[in-house]
Amino acid sequence: MKVDYTTEAPVIQERLSLAQIQELVAKPLDTKPDKKFFIALTISGSLLLFGAVLLAITFYKGIGLWGNNEPVGWGFPIINFVFWVGIGHAGTLISAILFLLRQKWRTGIARFAEAMTIFAVMCAGIFPIIHLGRPWLAGYLVPYPNQHGMWVNFTSPLVWDVFAVSTYFTVSLIFWYTGLIPDFATLRDRTASKIKKSIYSIFSLGWRHSNRHWQHYEKAYVLLAGFATPLVLSVHTIVSFDFAVAILPGWHSTIFPPYFVAGAIFSGFAMVVTVLIFVRKIFDLQSIITLNHLEKMNKVIIATSLMVGYSYAMEFFIAWYSGVPEEQFVFINRAFGPYAWAYWTMVSCNVLFPQLFWFRKIRRSVPAMLAIVILVNVGMWFERFVIVVTSLHRDFLPSSWGMFIPTIYDIGILLGSFGLFFTLVILFTKSLPVISISEIKAVAEGAQPSYHGGVNHE
Amino acid sequence: MPDIRDDEITKGAANNPDPNYWRSFEELHRDQSFINEINKEFKEGASESPDISGISAFSRRKFLALLGASAAFAGTACTNYRDKGEIIPYNKKPAEITIGKANYYASTCNGCSFACGVLIKTREGRPVKIDGNPDHPVSQGKICAQGQASIMGLYDPDRLKSPKSNNNNRFVDISWHDADAEIINELNNVGSKEIALITGNIVSPAENKLIHDFINKYPAAKVYSFEQFNESVRNNAWKKCYGTGEFPLIKWNQAEVVVSLDSDFLGMGANKIENTRLFAERRDVINKKFNRLYVVESNLSLTGMNADYRLKLRPDAQYAFVMAILNELRKRNAIDVSRDTGNFSLENFAGEYNLSKKDLNYLMDDLMNNRGRAIVYAGDQLPVNVHIAVNALNEYLGNSKLYNPDAEKINILPLSTYDELKNLAEKMKAGQVGMVIHYDANPVYNFPVNFNYEELLNNVDIIVSLTQVENESSINGNYILPVHHYLESWGDAKTRNGFYSLRQPVISPLYDTRQKEAILLNWINGEPSSFKETVYHEYLMDYWKTEVYPGLNSKLSFKTLWYGALHDGVVLKNEKVSLSFTFNSSVLADLPSSAINISGFAVHIKESYALKDGRYANNGWLQELPHPVSKVTWDNYAAVSSTTAKKLGLETNDLVEIKISDNSLTIPVLVQPGAADNSITIETGYGRTKAGTVGERVGFNANKLSNISTGLSPWLFTSAEVNKVPGNYKLVLAQTFYDFTQSLKQDLPKKRGIIKEGTVAEYLSNPGFMIHEEEKSKELPSVNPPFPYNKLKWGMSIDLNKCLSCGDCVVACLVENNIPVVGKDQVNVGREMHWLRIDRYYSGTMEDPAVSNQPMLCQQCDQAPCENVCPVLATTHSPDGLNQMIYNRCVGTRYCSNNCPYKVRRFNFFNFRDDFRDGYQESPVFALLQNPEVTVRSRGVMEKCTFCIQRIAEAKADAVREGKELKGSDVTTACKDACSTNAIKFGDINNKEEEFYKYRNHELGYYVLEELNIKPNVTYIAKLRNTHSEEA
Repeated sequence: MKVDYTTEAPVIQERLSLAQIQELVAKPLDTKPDKKFFIALTISGSLLLFGAVLLAITFYKGIGLWGNNEPVGWGFPIINFVFWVGIGHAGTLISAILFLLRQKWRTGIARFAEAMTIFAVMCAGIFPIIHLGRPWLAGYLVPYPNQHGMWVNFTSPLVWDVFAVSTYFTVSLIFWYTGLIPDFATLRDRTASKIKKSIYSIFSLGWRHSNRHWQHYEKAYVLLAGFATPLVLSVHTIVSFDFAVAILPGWHSTIFPPYFVAGAIFSGFAMVVTVLIFVRKIFDLQSIITLNHLEKMNKVIIATSLMVGYSYAMEFFIAWYSGVPEEQFVFINRAFGPYAWAYWTMVSCNVLFPQLFWFRKIRRSVPAMLAIVILVNVGMWFERFVIVVTSLHRDFLPSSWGMFIPTIYDIGILLGSFGLFFTLVILFTKSLPVISISEIKAVAEGAQPSYHGGVNHE
Repeated sequence: MPDIRDDEITKGAANNPDPNYWRSFEELHRDQSFINEINKEFKEGASESPDISGISAFSRRKFLALLGASAAFAGTACTNYRDKGEIIPYNKKPAEITIGKANYYASTCNGCSFACGVLIKTREGRPVKIDGNPDHPVSQGKICAQGQASIMGLYDPDRLKSPKSNNNNRFVDISWHDADAEIINELNNVGSKEIALITGNIVSPAENKLIHDFINKYPAAKVYSFEQFNESVRNNAWKKCYGTGEFPLIKWNQAEVVVSLDSDFLGMGANKIENTRLFAERRDVINKKFNRLYVVESNLSLTGMNADYRLKLRPDAQYAFVMAILNELRKRNAIDVSRDTGNFSLENFAGEYNLSKKDLNYLMDDLMNNRGRAIVYAGDQLPVNVHIAVNALNEYLGNSKLYNPDAEKINILPLSTYDELKNLAEKMKAGQVGMVIHYDANPVYNFPVNFNYEELLNNVDIIVSLTQVENESSINGNYILPVHHYLESWGDAKTRNGFYSLRQPVISPLYDTRQKEAILLNWINGEPSSFKETVYHEYLMDYWKTEVYPGLNSKLSFKTLWYGALHDGVVLKNEKVSLSFTFNSSVLADLPSSAINISGFAVHIKESYALKDGRYANNGWLQELPHPVSKVTWDNYAAVSSTTAKKLGLETNDLVEIKISDNSLTIPVLVQPGAADNSITIETGYGRTKAGTVGERVGFNANKLSNISTGLSPWLFTSAEVNKVPGNYKLVLAQTFYDFTQSLKQDLPKKRGIIKEGTVAEYLSNPGFMIHEEEKSKELPSVNPPFPYNKLKWGMSIDLNKCLSCGDCVVACLVENNIPVVGKDQVNVGREMHWLRIDRYYSGTMEDPAVSNQPMLCQQCDQAPCENVCPVLATTHSPDGLNQMIYNRCVGTRYCSNNCPYKVRRFNFFNFRDDFRDGYQESPVFALLQNPEVTVRSRGVMEKCTFCIQRIAEAKADAVREGKELKGSDVTTACKDACSTNAIKFGDINNKEEEFYKYRNHELGYYVLEELNIKPNVTYIAKLRNTHSEEA
């Protein structure tokens, strides 16, 4: 097939009028939820409840209900934490970095990706707290003046985590809300329901679409984007320090920060694609979230997949090159030890399957990409499993080697976090515009003043 | 203004109807009330001072006070505050008790026949720790793991709390008076039938007299003293060879060469403490004196792990082996044996059993070159012929010089022979036994199975059991009488010439129990109501006054001597002996001239390292103590070699059925590296059906196979049939099984420098062979400037030459530091709480492994990797070099444990006290067991070895009070106290005067994982193997 790469593909397909766009995006908010919505909500809600019950039992009995043990002090909760923080990376990357890079195609997916970021960070934020032996004392990790005369240890990466994740969450939330303000105003203006109107009025902060508002808004948005951009890199860098700062072979590695950031973007994009595939279909948004969007994201996925693959290879190379026997053993053990199945799951899901995206057909085939992105998410979860478990289970002294076997509580709480995530996503689709109305209008054809009056330059 | 107008109004008020403006008729008519009204600026009541009496009783203050109080009540009433009673200080302080200060009392352990002297630490009147009594001439301040752990027995919640009698197959409480009255009645009415008093070994002279008094009073009574594991075979052989006496004590410290034949003399048996001490004297890196240990055994034992040369041999072939050695030595003209020793040839034997000819040659050479300085020692459980042959071998080589002529073992009441027990069984069968008294013994479990004792009990009219915890023998009886723990008891002991030892109670009885001697005494008195708590105390004193005191020829008055003796725990007596040993060489003539016919499997039943003969089954600490070799906890198993396992298609955890004539046992298999082919070793003490909450349904009862009529000895069987049976049973190992097959993992500890070893020859020729100059000179750089430890700084050294890996230190640590029992399921998932563990590494092949052991505890690193990763500063460093753990701060991130390269940190995944056996350890009486100086850790908290910081703190406080400088030698750790070979040294690394300094800076010293530059403070002294110099 001959593709013309000299012209930019239109961001939205079908020549939708501005009113049509508004109508399309706002439709789910105006209509009553249908049966499918409730079925979906029931499923995700059940998962959430299942996880919550198991978590409650864990609080009552102690974390001994999990598979964690003596060599493997960290298990599922930390794996899940890193996984969800990683998922949370796509949103800010799409909304902030792509915004600064003036990638107009981001407008169709930015809102959704940002929402997912926030939900994913909420899921992630639960785990460092519940993984504690005494979760009720989690406040000890926060440096505040207190009568106990206690202070935190600023050399511990876990304290850095507290700051990194909370900052990231706060900034993402503000950024997301800032973007929502014009849309709230639009919704306020078009709704007939009094209750909705008052809610939208409160959240739109008196927005009147005035020129001055837009000016301030754009300035604030750029500044926030600039502020959020370094956070995209810093959060996962700091999460990777949890491992890299330790002296454990398999963790103590300088490649971890870039490797983790690449992996986070990789998994985040995969998750965004997974959810968008359903959203664009269910809410009939194919013309706004086009195949081109999905393809572009698939390209990012293959790029980050290569980075991740490079990191895997480099870890092995450095292990050999370092000449440290413990380090070498850990990597051979990863590939051929008792957790080899996890390692090869990770490699095949993260490095091998995404290579199919080299084919344009696969990049643009919805079922194929759905399969691949789900595999990517599985692979990225296993990547964290491999890092946490295989490094810990056979470290320096062979006498203390052990195995980690997850229990129903580990698995249930992981499922519960998925339940929480999807419950929030489902509620989000019915309560807020999943696409930024104002931004998408700005990139609609003819929306911007141009020399030829909005006629496509052929 | 109003005033002026008022004046005007008032002025013309009289008669002038002044057309002044008026607003109302009242004004017009100058109504007085109106005038009063307008003269006032404010409304009624507003300008007067208020009338307090009319105001509501709720003042603002009161309202706020009530609000605050009700909020406080609401807040506190809903909490789980419970009135935990009052703590009342002493009104008048007892002279001997200072709150917060420990008192120590000398006493005598009664865990086995050895009667070690113990020193019991009590706090506020309750015993919290048992250590060895340093004044005891034999045990010299050390006791074994069982002695350490026996304190748990005192506080065992399963202890019987009052006497019980059987009422229609249901035990009901009964008063002591009634029980005594009924039993005395039965004793008197037994008629022509026998009263069988079944007891363990009696080592107390006073108790012995008491038993004889009992027999005098009730002539129908007969004593049967039985220990399942005893030296009867060894002593029978000795009698045959030397005519009189018992097998003597051995001067292990003078032996250059020790040849152990299936004898675990370093790991088991009553004399273990002395054996290990004397043996380890000759593994000294300061004096550079090293003995050489040959071990010829079937299963890999603790002694075998410490061997310089180890040969595998099935136990039933030991006789042929010893005879072959005799023949070989004769052939080499090394010995002059009068008699032809049959057709044994060492060469053929080595071929038949695949023994290394090179090693056998070394053995022959060493035996010939070290005449009088070598000892061959056969195991207790080997058949009598082996012992006779070994006695002959030692005699002909002149090794009888190593028999100690100055010390004599004393048997107060010799154990009953198996024939006597057989007689008892026959009498029971014939219904001639009217009453059986289980005098703190458990024959149903321990008696050889062929006596059929449990069934025979049905023929007995009255069964009385004196016991602390219900057991298999008590449950079918008529009366169960609860007895004191030895910490609540009086007593004495005599096991050797030269001294007596004394036992005194250190706590009042916790329950309505009586000392077992006092019960007998009351029966002798025949009057139930005459009982006094002091009855045996008086009896004992009386005995000492009349029987012991005169013999001591003391210048002191009896009272003074008695109190002195109680204080010291021992009384020395001048009773020198000089034993002489004349060998009767004619015994050789009776020895069979050919090897016994060997077929099928050899089965060897051994005492458990942890539970002994099962008496410690209800002790969780011991159940959880990993087996020193296999590291199995909470179970016993059949140990088989890898070749045999392959032959039978077995893997670890498979079940086998072992059949010896009519007796059979189904038990899981453990493939044990270094085990001899076609032989099976099983430890007893498990499979108890009635032992208490902890001990029941743990493991398998190997006594089902112990049959004195089918074996070569009561513990050794040949021609057993072994079959795999379907099913699986999970054995739980505290340390994962070491895989020999992958080259990646082979010898990993040595490759990583965790274990560093050499040979004696190498060391003697080049003492600095371990030090590599280039490594030594290079000080690795650090990001932070190191803290200067100029003053006292704590350190430890562990001499791996002396460490035999028995695990006594592990138990001492458990007791000292309030470490909970977690149970088999938790050990299975790697959550045992041991702060100190013994790492066991195999190297070499599955068939012939070399074993390296290493006690592993917190290394108190100067640059501890755990410290910088803790987010809440719960683990920090002290200026005296300790890595501290602050439990209250710990939130349980477990990051420290992940970052600890030694994995010595332990996490409370549950409240293990609550989690294990349904809160067994949360029983109120268990709280008394805890060391008050050590925090009892809650759920979700990390913990680890502290170098016994509570002892350091105490020594520091003492030093401050006495105005002295604290010295390193002022403090000992619990593990150091417990180590019978003195392998552990502790002290100040900066004090050049201390003994510790020599070890800390020894040329064989190394640090584990030194290359990480975390600067650990535990020095390991590399193990030297005393192999021949031509073997590099």
